[in-house]
Amino acid sequence: MIGAMHYVFLSLILFVLGLIGVMVRKNFITVLMSLELIFNAANLNLIAFSDRFSSLSGQILAIFIITIAAAEAAIGLGLIIALLRLKDTASLDDANEMRG
Amino acid sequence: MSLSDFIPFVPEIFLAAAGLGILLAGITLGKKGVRTLIGSGVAALIVTAVLVWVFGRPQGGPQVILGGMLVLDNLAVFFKLIMIAASIIALIMSAGFLERSPYGGGEYTSLVLFATVGMMVMASGANLASLYVGLELMALSVYILVGYFKLEVKSNEAAVKYFVLGALSSGILVYGISLVYGTLGTLDLRGIHQALAGMAKLNWAAGLGIVLVGFGMLFKVAIVPFHVWTPDAYEGAPTPVTAFISVGPKAAAFAMFLRIFLGAFEPNIAAWRTVMWVAAAATMIFANTAALTQNNVKRMLAYSSIAHAGYALMGIVAGTAMGLWSVMLYMLIYTFMNLGAFGFVILLESRGYAGETIQDYAGLAKRHPAAAAGMLVFMLGLAGIPPTAGFMGKLYVFAAAVQAGYVGLTVIAVVMSAVSLFYYFRIVVQMYLHDGEEDEPAELIRDRWVEAMIFVCVAATLFIGVYPGPMVGWARAGISALGLG
Amino acid sequence: MQIPHLLTIVTIGPAVAAGVLGLIPGRYERLHRWLALLASVVLFVVSLFLWTGFNPDVAGFQLVDGPIAWIPQLGINYTLGMDGISLLLVLLTTLLIPVVILASWTSISERVKGFHISLLLLTTGMIGAFLALDLFLFYVFWELMLIPMYFIIGIWGGARRIYAAVKFFIYTMVGSVFMLVAILYLGFFHHQLTGVWSFAYADFLKTAPQLAMGSSILHSPQLLVFLAFALAFAIKVPMFPFHTWLPDAHVEAPTGGSIILAGVLLKLGTYGFLRFNRALFPAAWEACVPLILILAVIGILYGAWVAMVQPDMKKLVAYSSVSHLGFVMLGLAAGTIASTQGAVLQMVNHGLSTGALFLLVGVIYERRHTRLIADYGGIAKVVPIYTGLFLLVTLSSIGLPGLNGFVGEFLILAGSWEKYPAVVVLGALGIIFGAVYMLWMVQRVFWSPFAHEENRDLKDINLREVLAVLPLLVFIVWIGVHPTTFLSPMEAAVRLLLAR
Repeated sequence: MIGAMHYVFLSLILFVLGLIGVMVRKNFITVLMSLELIFNAANLNLIAFSDRFSSLSGQILAIFIITIAAAEAAIGLGLIIALLRLKDTASLDDANEMRG
Repeated sequence: MSLSDFIPFVPEIFLAAAGLGILLAGITLGKKGVRTLIGSGVAALIVTAVLVWVFGRPQGGPQVILGGMLVLDNLAVFFKLIMIAASIIALIMSAGFLERSPYGGGEYTSLVLFATVGMMVMASGANLASLYVGLELMALSVYILVGYFKLEVKSNEAAVKYFVLGALSSGILVYGISLVYGTLGTLDLRGIHQALAGMAKLNWAAGLGIVLVGFGMLFKVAIVPFHVWTPDAYEGAPTPVTAFISVGPKAAAFAMFLRIFLGAFEPNIAAWRTVMWVAAAATMIFANTAALTQNNVKRMLAYSSIAHAGYALMGIVAGTAMGLWSVMLYMLIYTFMNLGAFGFVILLESRGYAGETIQDYAGLAKRHPAAAAGMLVFMLGLAGIPPTAGFMGKLYVFAAAVQAGYVGLTVIAVVMSAVSLFYYFRIVVQMYLHDGEEDEPAELIRDRWVEAMIFVCVAATLFIGVYPGPMVGWARAGISALGLG
Repeated sequence: MQIPHLLTIVTIGPAVAAGVLGLIPGRYERLHRWLALLASVVLFVVSLFLWTGFNPDVAGFQLVDGPIAWIPQLGINYTLGMDGISLLLVLLTTLLIPVVILASWTSISERVKGFHISLLLLTTGMIGAFLALDLFLFYVFWELMLIPMYFIIGIWGGARRIYAAVKFFIYTMVGSVFMLVAILYLGFFHHQLTGVWSFAYADFLKTAPQLAMGSSILHSPQLLVFLAFALAFAIKVPMFPFHTWLPDAHVEAPTGGSIILAGVLLKLGTYGFLRFNRALFPAAWEACVPLILILAVIGILYGAWVAMVQPDMKKLVAYSSVSHLGFVMLGLAAGTIASTQGAVLQMVNHGLSTGALFLLVGVIYERRHTRLIADYGGIAKVVPIYTGLFLLVTLSSIGLPGLNGFVGEFLILAGSWEKYPAVVVLGALGIIFGAVYMLWMVQRVFWSPFAHEENRDLKDINLREVLAVLPLLVFIVWIGVHPTTFLSPMEAAVRLLLAR
């Protein structure tokens, strides 16, 4: 029988993977994908718990998060395009004009 | 739910609709209509403020609306009016700046309005879901605003960094929310409060959830060690946007912080208070020290704003009713001082994008005595010297900390306030004690609207500093909201 | 005649005058000078009503103005009041302001408007700090003094003015932030004991002595709060080893700034010790008396010793200040009625004598643009009137009987003799040193062989400068000849303070 705890552990693994991805990877696209992992880890939790409590609020929040993540991805891709035009690169390491 | 349930939400609906209208108008007006668009944005904000006063005020005690998603209370009204004021001032300051740039005004104005809607939802959210949606509406708008000057490398870079770390913090926050939901079975703030109060011992998942929500919030208000995005975002963003994001979103994040931690997580205050203590102390020490060596004024003010978040956090550490309203008052005061200070940076930006150093201020007192005197007021205010409002803000936060028994933290705070004088006074020294003949200082831009807004901020800083009574009374009315009375 | 709200008028008046000056364009320099002079003379005349309205038989605070609720949430009120001690110090302040304006008449030639506005704001801060009966209000006035003085040194000062101004600022600020925490803590403690927020001096007199004295410093709130106040005041006095900002500030400050710094600002330190440390924390004070005595004696001897080798007249006078204020602290620490009265009188004396010395050094500096003793010599024949005045002030400073300095020093030493004879002996040594370095300087400047031809046509002191120094001389002689005029008003207040 698969219980809520199983989902939590799966989501935790996804969350940690996403965190590591954001911190370690240098390519903006990969970072965006890692961010998606984090959001979806949260979604997984919300839906699993929503099912267990038979309460809808978790699912509703999950739908909101999906929408927001889409908007976030759109903005992220827009920024990548602007970065590509200005510096011909999608690597975060090349964003280094400001220091201190 | 009937249509009349939406009446208290009219201000937000109106503002969002106005934002959409301005977005469309911007497309037809193009580059010519910057002043018209910004003017209509300001008008929409003023109307919203009136609507908040008419429809958005609680009748009697706190009032839960829209199926428990939002709450009307004095805390919400207080923060909403601060945010609207910040948006108005920031928008007016942007007009000339945008006109001098190659960018249009439609998207800009509407993004500021959308961000304001998001902040207003954050101020009155009664449910983690609505708070999160409000937060994202604000954050997404602000990412675009920071990168609005898309042909400037610095602006783009600031947006990229702000976006990555902002989205990461949102992710951490929402994952924490999912864990809190999973262990406590509700997203409602009052429900969480009851569930936590009924729990003898926290289980690990709930504990982790609270910790992650805390990390997310600390990211949003830029507390050490979650502050790394701030200096770059502030330096690279167009200066009016920097002015805006340093006050509006910060006040909104603090409102949300107060609601979640002093509202919902209050039963576990003993557990998270120590962490906040350390974070506040680290922030004040690190940010004030780092600001000492900055030569770029915007970057220095960025570190200064981190430090101010540290002072405000002391009120949350105190965790008392006085702690709560002292944070509210602090945000109000900080808004005016910081907007004014950034207003000057806008006026000094005659040397191209984001290239303002402290030496540009040399001899300002001789060439523009009134402007220098205004900047002096803001520097004194930010440093917390009487008789400016900054002193009053710090006084109440410190008093709250002392009252709650945190004398050690208060000592750190006052020592670091003294340290902060060094960097604020680097500007004063340049303005007053150097004659600016050898350093080729920058010329001031003449922009009547920015000057008018600076004057408003000077007046507010001095007035609240000399006569804080009414503002304190107003902030104190907010404490009944969280039942901390 | 009794003027209502007299204390408020005296306190806020200068700030209002500063506001009026602020409205007049800076190019009317003469108008600014005359208006500021007029305001300060009017202020002095009005402050004389303090004297006439004062009843020397009443020990407590008089002419109390307030309390007016200012920040009701924390029980902070606007309350001003005066006793015999603050009366003398306020009159000293109002006397010195016109003197400063006259002394700066020609030496301040740039940004005349800003100088007078700073000076008048500074005046409000100083008088307010002497009169405030709410500790919070006191702190606000205390901080209000900081910025104008910083500008006076930093804008109108000498070559190293920025360094001196920043140093002055940092030292003062470090002291005052700890004082702020201590004041907040006292308010909190009062709240804890009585359930009411208050920062009133009268309330703290009841609750502050109840702060616990533990076995070690860290377990003794009273000692910690005492030290927080003491640090702020010790920097201001300045007591050894916190004195290092003073010579820099004095040397770089313009003449007017030096007069006000030595004349009034330093007195706020000693006044604070007497009014707050002594009265609010009797147990901690008892515990710290030996330390204060030791630092006071070190200050007396060290100041004198360093003054002796200074080649620069202004620096010499600055170090003599360290020495003289050591006497004041000695008198306060000894804590008898005579020694305390002597200390308060010596505060006034030092303001008069050292103020006059700085003024006279400024007079000659304006003519020759050097303050080095070696650049003068034998000029007594060239500037006879100036020489006479300088000699008179010097004699007052070294405590010649018949002039003011003698009365103060005598009372301090006589009053301390029964309790601390050894300290008195060392202090008396300081008086001898003082006579040596001052007279040696006078001898080298005025009577040694004529060495520099540039000094041949040095102009003697002019009428304006005589007018500036004359009021100080009047009081120097008056206090020396008939000190009772000044001792009797403060006697009741001193007795009350020491009885606590």
